[in-house]
Amino acid sequence: MTISRRTLLGTGAALGLLTACGSNTGRDKGSSPGGKVTLDHWYHQYGEAGTEAAVRRYAAAYDKAKVSVQWRPGNYDQQTAAALLTSSGPDVFEVNGPTLDQIQGGQVADLTALFDGVKDDFNPAVLAPKTYDGKIWGVPQVVDTQFLYYRKSLLKDAGVQPPATLDELVDAAKALTRNKVKGLFLGNDGGAGVLGGTPLYAAGLSLVTADGRVGFDDPAAARTLGKLHQLYADKSLLLGAPSDWSDPSAFLQGLTAMQWSGLWALPAVQKALGDDFGVLPFPKDGPNGKPSVPVGAYAAAVSTRSKHQVEAKAYVKWLWVERTDFQEDFALSYGFHIPARLSLAKKAAKLRQGAAADAVTYATDHGYAQPLLWTPTLQTAYQDALNRIVKDGASPDSELKSVIRKTKDELQRVKKS
Amino acid sequence: MTAPHRTTARHRPRPDEALVRVGRALRWVILAALALLFLVPFYLLVRNGLAAEPDITSPGWTFFPSTLHWSNVRELFDDPAVPMARSLLNSALIAVATTVGTLLFASLAGYGLARIPYRFANQVFYAVIGTLMVPAAVTFVPSFVLVSSLGWVSSLRGLIIPTLFSGFACFIFRQFFTGFPRELEDAARVDGLGYWRTYWRIVVPNARPVFAAVGTIVFIGAWNSFLWPLVIGQDRDAWTVQVALSTFTTAQVVNLHELFVAAAVSIVPLVLVFLLLQRYIVAGVERSGIDD
Amino acid sequence: MRRRVSDNTLWFWIFVGPFAAGLALFTYVPLLWSVYLSFFDAHNTVSPTDFVGFDNYTAMLRDGAFTSSLGTFAVFSLFIVPATYALALGLALMVNRIRRFQAFFRSVFFLPAACSYVVAALIWKMSIFNGVRFGLANTVLGWFGADQTAWLSTTHPPWYWLVIVTVRLWLQAGFYMILFLAGLQRISPRLYEAAAVDGARPGWQVFRHITFPQLRTTSIAVVLLLVINAFQAFDEFYNLLSDARGYPPYARPPLVYLYYTALGQGQNLGMGSAGAVILALIIAVVTVFQARWFGLGRKEAD
Repeated sequence: MTISRRTLLGTGAALGLLTACGSNTGRDKGSSPGGKVTLDHWYHQYGEAGTEAAVRRYAAAYDKAKVSVQWRPGNYDQQTAAALLTSSGPDVFEVNGPTLDQIQGGQVADLTALFDGVKDDFNPAVLAPKTYDGKIWGVPQVVDTQFLYYRKSLLKDAGVQPPATLDELVDAAKALTRNKVKGLFLGNDGGAGVLGGTPLYAAGLSLVTADGRVGFDDPAAARTLGKLHQLYADKSLLLGAPSDWSDPSAFLQGLTAMQWSGLWALPAVQKALGDDFGVLPFPKDGPNGKPSVPVGAYAAAVSTRSKHQVEAKAYVKWLWVERTDFQEDFALSYGFHIPARLSLAKKAAKLRQGAAADAVTYATDHGYAQPLLWTPTLQTAYQDALNRIVKDGASPDSELKSVIRKTKDELQRVKKS
Repeated sequence: MTAPHRTTARHRPRPDEALVRVGRALRWVILAALALLFLVPFYLLVRNGLAAEPDITSPGWTFFPSTLHWSNVRELFDDPAVPMARSLLNSALIAVATTVGTLLFASLAGYGLARIPYRFANQVFYAVIGTLMVPAAVTFVPSFVLVSSLGWVSSLRGLIIPTLFSGFACFIFRQFFTGFPRELEDAARVDGLGYWRTYWRIVVPNARPVFAAVGTIVFIGAWNSFLWPLVIGQDRDAWTVQVALSTFTTAQVVNLHELFVAAAVSIVPLVLVFLLLQRYIVAGVERSGIDD
Repeated sequence: MRRRVSDNTLWFWIFVGPFAAGLALFTYVPLLWSVYLSFFDAHNTVSPTDFVGFDNYTAMLRDGAFTSSLGTFAVFSLFIVPATYALALGLALMVNRIRRFQAFFRSVFFLPAACSYVVAALIWKMSIFNGVRFGLANTVLGWFGADQTAWLSTTHPPWYWLVIVTVRLWLQAGFYMILFLAGLQRISPRLYEAAAVDGARPGWQVFRHITFPQLRTTSIAVVLLLVINAFQAFDEFYNLLSDARGYPPYARPPLVYLYYTALGQGQNLGMGSAGAVILALIIAVVTVFQARWFGLGRKEAD
């Protein structure tokens, strides 16, 4: 028996049907009518209402290219990392980085030229981690910072002063813990994730030194991190809240007297609590200690896989360097952020009063940005160690020793390439 | 369906009437309690989805809230930030197309492996079941790069076609067809039908239960898959319902009632499919030899 | 034979060809690509140039986090496999024996299979086992005056296992119950009659000497599927325990660890692929060993 023509036709039809059902949803990359190129611009999903409409409005205002904004929910880092390997990724994307490996791997374009004449107007603390090899690889959009929120009334009821040292924080959290209200919320993992290097800087140390060596190879590190375990062991920490540290809900719902969260949460806190709250930096620890708050910035970067790098750079320059009105709107209209431009930060009226002013002062005086050399691998290793120190009461000495060893190896690796 | 048990039960020995009765009552109590326990999560989903935000987080959390806010459902569909209706449609399209395609390819292959003599049939079969042991997450990045180089990113094509070739489905079909009574096919063969027509006229009509069973498993998997649609469906127009759902869980500020109502809406179609088809599914699993 | 061999070959490929081609393109190409990557220093690239031999493999095997993730898998299987097996079998035995509302009970127990891990994890994390006063578990415990427990955040005792195991148990018990029900249907009533004649008491004795041995093939299939699925566990762990900053070092199964190694910003595809290959090999060995141990495939050798 041979294959009949009908058989072949049947099979072909079935295959054809399947291919046909995959009609393209209609994104054509490249040029659009009118000769303008189309640029894909990716943002991660912001929690503040109105942000998405705002970035779409900015994109629509650009007249040299058609900008298609993509608002990406969930797992943003994974999505961009995968997309950057292909040409179907974004032309312009915001990134909590770029990371050292993205820069060394040639995945992001050199944007140094965009900063001509305005470089000094960018907040130096957040510009530094975007700089490698003397070149700048991303334009900081806004400066975010985190600090400690506390309920004034609850502290007063418990007869507790706002803590100025880590020891005082431990005591305060313990004193504030009641039956159904905990003293302190550092995230559902007990603080290892969100605090990161902050306690080290509060002890007068750092993650990586300016000359690229391990910044916490010091007995003070173990001593400070050990105190975080005390918080956990005292049962002063709120754990297992339905929303995490980035959301002020736990603080507002009265589940905790103090919470570590971001500047972006300030409007919501102000609205709910009025004057009944204050903000503090992470308190200092030890003789060489100083208060510390983390600062960081999402940056706009250009993918080297983009077919329209020149246009993409021009667009980034237009939006994140030239259009200071949009930058101001983006920073201040949807939740609070500190503008990345010093000139804008200075005239931001909203940031000059009350708790916001305190927060900005902390960011200016005590802010530290995570160094570029602190790679995701190291972050995981350190975070694992910190988690074990906090929750399992693991010996800070031996945990840190293995992180230090790993850090030396990794710093060696990235220097080599 | 229930007939066989009746026979079984009637023939079962009953030495001590009282003991049997106690046993039966106990069985009922345990089953009812477990059933209730199994339903609690569904209830919580609906309860929290239709509650006002304070009802979810209030210190005096109660099992039964005072009022149900059906407006939450409208709020969800009206939310401009999340294209809920569109993503439900996408999910339905993708799940149906994936199910149809998987059934077609896997059943044909399963039949070929089970019935058509070929020197290397065993080797091909081992290559198929070998894929069952490779976790998909492992080949994720190369798969993505591959699909992207085909230009299929953000298209239904890219969301559907790469997922159509399920080693698991092929394995089940092959096992089922191996145990399929040969007499039927032999009769067809005598009538002069070739493999192709035997397959469509005799085999497929007699294999409906296994199609139902595999189809359901594939449909559930397609509806619930997350990572692939997240990365492939870059445009908002290509979001599936799971991706839309994730916008609520990854937001900086979590809106609990909207999250729960979205989750509830996302499982409604599946639950309906399940309730409607469950008779066939059960019959299918029972006859498919999945457990052989 | 009228049919020539070449005809059979042709027909074989007509039936199997489309599937095989798709499998080759969408599974084997990425798979071999991953194997290739595992021999390179592949940071943020899929076309690496820096060949490192087996370095990634040795580094991965020496990585304490990876080996401990294998331990996590072992613990997880020890919990989930017997628990699901016992619950599914128990449900099947009970549902099989009742006469009325059988379909109802079967539906209720099977229904969770329609729920995605994402949704189930959401209910478990936010509603049942959240660590604050309005979580269901804490509310119930509160009636008895117990303190609130942070189920997912407490490592001593490791309550998170309770959350992780119950969510999967809820999702999958019904499916395996159906498999057992199918197995029970196939047991000939005559065996029970014979047992009654021999004076076996209904209940334990009948179960031990008739029902359980007759369910042998079903049991083997169930255990195999449970173990393979446990190995590939990702969704509930990820959705229950990950946060914006990553994943805690406990209850981290291999796939979750590899996900963080190979995807995301620290995109170390070489190490990730090496870990994946190791994992796939382990799954293969375990499966083959299990199959041999249970004597699976004997039927096919007949």
